[in-house]
Amino acid sequence: MEDTLTQQQAGRAILALEDGRVFKGRAAGARTRRGGEVVFNTSLTGYQEVFTDPSYSGQMVCLTYPHIGNVGANLDDEESPKPYIEGLVVREFSALASNWRSTETTQKYLERHGVPVIWDMDTRALVRHLRQVGALRGMVSTDETPAEKLILEAKALPTMAGQELASRVSASAKYEWKDGSIGIASPILTDAVAGADAKRKRRRVVAYDFGIKQNILRLLVDHDCDVTVVPAQTSAEDVLGLKPDGVFLSNGPGDPEPIHYAVSNIRKLVGRVPIFGICLGHQLCGLALGGKTFKLKFGHHGANHPVQNLLTKKVEITSQNHGFCVDPASLPSSEVEITHVNLNDHTNEGMRHRTLPLFSVQYHPEASPGPHDARYLFGQFVEMMNGAR
Amino acid sequence: MPKRTDIKKILIIGSGPIIIGQACEFDYSGTQACKALRSEGYTVVLVNSNPATVMTDPETADRTYIEPLSREYLEAIIAVERPDALLPTVGGQTGLNLAVDLAEAGILDKYGVKLIGASLSAIKIAEDRLLFKDVCRKLGLEVPASEVVTTVPDAVRLADELGYPVVIRPSFTLGGTGGSIAYNREEFADLIARALDASPVHQALIEESVLGWKEYELEVMRDHRDNFVVICTIENFDPMGIHTGDSITVAPAQTLTDKEYQRMRDAAAAIIREVGVETGGSNIQFAVDPATGRMTVIEMNPRVSRSSALASKATGFPIAKIAAKLAVGMTLDEIPNDITKKTPSSFEPTIDYVVAKIPKWQFEKFPGSDTTLSTQMKSVGEVMAIGRTFQEALCKAIRSLEPSSAWRPPAEVTTVLLREKLHVPGPDRLHWLFEALERGMSSEEVCDLTKIDPWFIQQLQEMLEVDRRVAATSLSKCSAELLLESKRSGASDEEIAKLWNVKAASVRARRKELGVQPVFKRVDTCAAEFESFTPYLYSTYEEEDEAAPVDRPKVVILGSGPNRIGQGIEFDYCCCHASFALKEDGFETVMVNCNPETVSTDYDTSDRLYFEPLTLEDVLAILDCEKPQGVIVQFGGQTPLNLALELKKNGAKIIGTAPESIDLAEDRRRFGALLEELKIPTPKNGSAFAPQEAVALANEIGLPVLVRPSYVLGGRAMVIAYDLKTVEEYVTQATLIGGLSDAKRPILIDQFLEDATEVDVDALADGDDVLIAGIMEHIEEAGIHSGDSSCVLPSVTLKPSILEKIREYTVKLAKALNVVGLMNVQYAIQRDTVYVLEVNPRASRTIPYVSKATGVPLAKVAARLMTGRKLRDLHLPYTQTNGIKELVVPNFYAVKSPVFPFNKFRGVDTILGPEMRSTGEVMGISSTFGLAFAKAQLAAGQRLPQQGTVFLSVNDHDKRHVAFVVQDLLAAGLKVVATRGTAAALASAGIEVESVYKVNEGRPNIVDLIKTAKVDLVINTPLGRESFYDEKSIRRAAVRYNIPCITTLSAASAAARGIRAMAGHAVEVAALQDLHARKANASAERS
Ligand SMILES: Nc1ncnc2c1ncn2[C@@H]1O[C@H](COP(=O)(O)OP(=O)(O)O)[C@@H](O)[C@H]1O
Ligand SMILES: Nc1ncnc2c1ncn2[C@@H]1O[C@H](COP(=O)(O)OP(=O)(O)O)[C@@H](O)[C@H]1O
Ligand SMILES: [Mg+2]
Ligand SMILES: [Mg+2]
Repeated sequence: MEDTLTQQQAGRAILALEDGRVFKGRAAGARTRRGGEVVFNTSLTGYQEVFTDPSYSGQMVCLTYPHIGNVGANLDDEESPKPYIEGLVVREFSALASNWRSTETTQKYLERHGVPVIWDMDTRALVRHLRQVGALRGMVSTDETPAEKLILEAKALPTMAGQELASRVSASAKYEWKDGSIGIASPILTDAVAGADAKRKRRRVVAYDFGIKQNILRLLVDHDCDVTVVPAQTSAEDVLGLKPDGVFLSNGPGDPEPIHYAVSNIRKLVGRVPIFGICLGHQLCGLALGGKTFKLKFGHHGANHPVQNLLTKKVEITSQNHGFCVDPASLPSSEVEITHVNLNDHTNEGMRHRTLPLFSVQYHPEASPGPHDARYLFGQFVEMMNGAR
Repeated sequence: MPKRTDIKKILIIGSGPIIIGQACEFDYSGTQACKALRSEGYTVVLVNSNPATVMTDPETADRTYIEPLSREYLEAIIAVERPDALLPTVGGQTGLNLAVDLAEAGILDKYGVKLIGASLSAIKIAEDRLLFKDVCRKLGLEVPASEVVTTVPDAVRLADELGYPVVIRPSFTLGGTGGSIAYNREEFADLIARALDASPVHQALIEESVLGWKEYELEVMRDHRDNFVVICTIENFDPMGIHTGDSITVAPAQTLTDKEYQRMRDAAAAIIREVGVETGGSNIQFAVDPATGRMTVIEMNPRVSRSSALASKATGFPIAKIAAKLAVGMTLDEIPNDITKKTPSSFEPTIDYVVAKIPKWQFEKFPGSDTTLSTQMKSVGEVMAIGRTFQEALCKAIRSLEPSSAWRPPAEVTTVLLREKLHVPGPDRLHWLFEALERGMSSEEVCDLTKIDPWFIQQLQEMLEVDRRVAATSLSKCSAELLLESKRSGASDEEIAKLWNVKAASVRARRKELGVQPVFKRVDTCAAEFESFTPYLYSTYEEEDEAAPVDRPKVVILGSGPNRIGQGIEFDYCCCHASFALKEDGFETVMVNCNPETVSTDYDTSDRLYFEPLTLEDVLAILDCEKPQGVIVQFGGQTPLNLALELKKNGAKIIGTAPESIDLAEDRRRFGALLEELKIPTPKNGSAFAPQEAVALANEIGLPVLVRPSYVLGGRAMVIAYDLKTVEEYVTQATLIGGLSDAKRPILIDQFLEDATEVDVDALADGDDVLIAGIMEHIEEAGIHSGDSSCVLPSVTLKPSILEKIREYTVKLAKALNVVGLMNVQYAIQRDTVYVLEVNPRASRTIPYVSKATGVPLAKVAARLMTGRKLRDLHLPYTQTNGIKELVVPNFYAVKSPVFPFNKFRGVDTILGPEMRSTGEVMGISSTFGLAFAKAQLAAGQRLPQQGTVFLSVNDHDKRHVAFVVQDLLAAGLKVVATRGTAAALASAGIEVESVYKVNEGRPNIVDLIKTAKVDLVINTPLGRESFYDEKSIRRAAVRYNIPCITTLSAASAAARGIRAMAGHAVEVAALQDLHARKANASAERS
């Protein structure tokens, strides 16, 4: 296994950005070239969860922690059946996997899935560049393509704004989800107590898949839900036809604006069934309730963002992964109450309907990767479903 | 939540003297706490017995007490100050224990003092291992099985049950003192007996071993609103079984998946809540089975700790400062992040670099001590390094350690030896790891023997692989790419030079030609997601440089590196003061240091902080970048001094005393010549390279002689030879060991002055003017290292004529050496002749102590002199006697006493000598010398008895003077018993005392009496080597049973005076602010 990497090490890799900035490094992963919007994620742990989060489709991820690959890869740490990142940018890429759960090296894993890696470059310089100029399109090449050509290719890539990617990553047909969290990920005693009263009764949840992370599904199952996952474009009628106790709106990639079908479906569902949305799901709720969304300069991607729950004043350390944001000013305050705010840049992180059973958050209470501080929201969803009876 | 308004005045207890397991990290945390609370408008009262701290500067707190950290003194202080609250969590274990004691004794209630930061119950649960384990089990967390035992038979039964190896932990000892691991029953029986002895309550915990598991630490914080954050995760490179304080550690954790890490985080959150630590920082330790991921909780410290200091430096998140603010009711989201300014502290720092910490051990100072690393901490200091990768960080940390000599494997290295060295961890383990891998031992075998994670071993392999490729080229042939790769993997110019056997300078030159240069990156808590406003920097080999040096008058201060015996916190104190003073004078101050425990490496201390190794290569890189007007090498002890000449050669502008003068003072020959010229007496001396030469010289000088290597600090490897055989042995040995003595560095031989009074003098000079800052009289006679002897300011017994001479010589020396800044001179007075022992034209160990005693911040003044200011412009309170200026002496007595780590090194003799072995110091202040001495002794952990029995056994030479001491003791109402000879001597002086057996004279002998607590004070003065042996056991017993033991007659008579002074004397306390004010008035009247 180490040989595969050393072969790769011989090869050079290039990251070329649309603005002409070029980084040279070493190649790993697959021998190819791919493009996308370059974003950085500051989480210290959970690279495999990041690779496999469908919300990253159309994006190349620079992980700011320098040592990636140390713990290898395993099936339990996937958030979907395959990596969605277009490419990986890191400082050091481990030749060796050291963890009792690892089944293959990260190198093998990414190679198998055709993801190119550029490493041994100044990733911090890249991050500072993106922080200053904002997210950029870029190409990662491990196939010796000259930089000039890559810059042109980067310029030619579609911009993230206006891209409808949800339907591209969504499940093609509806299916039932049965798995709960694996042992090591299941909450320790004190967590379990939270919302215990609401447990026992089984609830039927229909989950819209705009690029859903499997940990959301696992947590719904942990909370005694029978989960049916439906494709992004499933009509509100069909969803209601499944007699759900609640509807879940998932995270997903791309710009929420062009997803008109989802917005109109949600409009039809609001008030008829309890709704819980996460990330893209939250943005779609925002649009459905008459609000607007906008693109952040370089987005929020990490596992350490402080979010304040305005109802309890408590701060949650949250997992975040979004480039777009709901503009709270654009929401009808008569109907919508802002429930969560990001303490770093004061952008909106959550809302609920004042009278109807609907709430949603911009960040990722399912974490994976990230702290479990916001898991209570799943209990809250269950309680809302109970209340709605 | 806004800060509490029901509290106005807050008491903070410091951690006392530097000891193993409790070093300057608590000066850092305490100082931060004081600053934080005062910035919120609270009045802060500080108590600490350790004068060598920034926290005890009169400016740091509103009211500062340098008093013994004991219940009676704390109560006295509380009675005068009447604080509303006590913050117990920033003074280490000492501060915490004392706070608990005060609470339980009802003193806090009596004076209505609230505990803030941690409640009594929380402290008790966290500190009591059994209660803590119960809490963990209740939460569904695993802990190693364990039980408390009080008798050996019970213990053995239990151990057999648990199965070997088992872990033994004595109850209520610090830093695991007396703790051990037993691998079999025989060993166990012995170890448990010791452990029970070590425990003040004769109780120990027997615990299931998880030896060889991975060890992790989480540094966490919580506020009143139950907001919880993890500041830093730390993974131990060394497995469970090696104390975290003795382990190489790495931040952040390297080998955890997110699921495992979040499980640990959830556990930490659950624990801190269940234990009930409502606000502040805690340290929680976990062990993980590498094979199955099984996780057990090891312990929790409900306070800031060594690890939290490390975490603060590793992340840029100031835990102690925030903890103090949380303690008064603020919440994390109300406190801005200093570094990003725009974002709040309610977040979890993320880093884009790797931090490595390596401990520093000094077993060489404690011959005969067990060097195996185990569950009891034995290191005296540590270094930290930051790199973009683990390899870079580790290499930088290794070179930060400043080994006194390069490590060399023994002539013959067998596989058996290799295996043993890897299997049984010792201080040189890292060297053995590289050795084994170089010799081709497989990673698997190395992991198996060491239980170090394969990922780390892989990193070492990769480093060696790069080295091999570099070695295959040469200075001229090596490509820029390969050289860069080598630097990126952390190799220093020195190491590369070795591979090519060329000079490091040539490698440096070549690097510059090829454009292979370091850049500087910032520590910003957020991996560059936000802009950072504090220049906290580290070097690395990458594309982009973020140093952005500013262009204004600028001074670089070189720190003192890792704490070690002889070069400790005193030097960090001086560096901080230089920075404070020059900041005030409008300079941009730049600090360079690699010790994570210190105040100097707080990003608040200087305008810019470079967390870098103090080697020529690393310092030059910083100077290239900063281009300062001046570099200060005078304050950091020997570390920066060793660089001074080379730095100057490379164009650095060293300010203050010229490196040449410093060098001259260190060079015995040239310095001897100077003394002759100045007509200042010095002990006859010379130097030799070979045994015969040395013997001849010793003969010529006359016995006894003092034999030592040149260029040492803290009297390393110095012995007093009473016969020629010793001299020969010493030199032979020294040349064998190498390192100690080589062509450049001969063996020095001095006439040893017996029964001489030693005097330390600190002075300030500006090139024109000299000002004597303090004349300190040692209590122990010359022959006992200045760092190990107690001393008093002002002097007590020195005649005016002697003082005259001392002043005169000091001024002469300062002028002759053109000192600009500080100078320290050590004198020995024998039969009214004043000899110079040594001159150090630099900051000395005694600077903080003299500064606290005189109220004049000497280091600050010195820094100003170095930048060209003059003494006459600084308006210092001095008196003038025939042309010589001296700072106004205190109108009280300030006694400094050392503190020794003997309890950590069983079997080591406690007798003092010219080899410095103390780790820390305390100060006692009083209007009488006796009381000041008694207070200092108490602060140092030696409680002089008020009644009971004193055991006396002195050498023939002391027998002449012993009568006076005994009269004092009897007058104070103590019973005196003595060994036969001493008793006889007393009898002939007309004093009858009961005589007792020596160890070899029959039973019950003196050791039996000590063991059965029939003795309350031991006075035992040996002379000459033979007597050392049969008396060792007495002194060892004294240490083991914690009975004050005095080994010199001079100290004995001081003690006697102390005991008399204490008799029927109320506990007296005074704040520095008042003492200094009083003194100022006094001097005003005088002039
Ligand atoms: N059950 C155990 N088995 C093996 N090693 C242990 C065990 N418990 C503790 N240790 C080792 O002993 C060291 C000191 O133990 P700890 O509980 O942290 O006491 P301290 O208060 O001295 O830090 C730990 O760092 C760890 O390496
Ligand atoms: N010639 C001497 N006669 C008696 N004692 C001496 C003599 N030289 C040194 N000493 C003792 O040894 C101690 C250490 O010597 P010193 O020269 O100060 O070494 P260091 O550089 O380690 O401070 C001194 O503090 C003093 O007590
Ligand atoms: Mg510990
Ligand atoms: Mg000295």
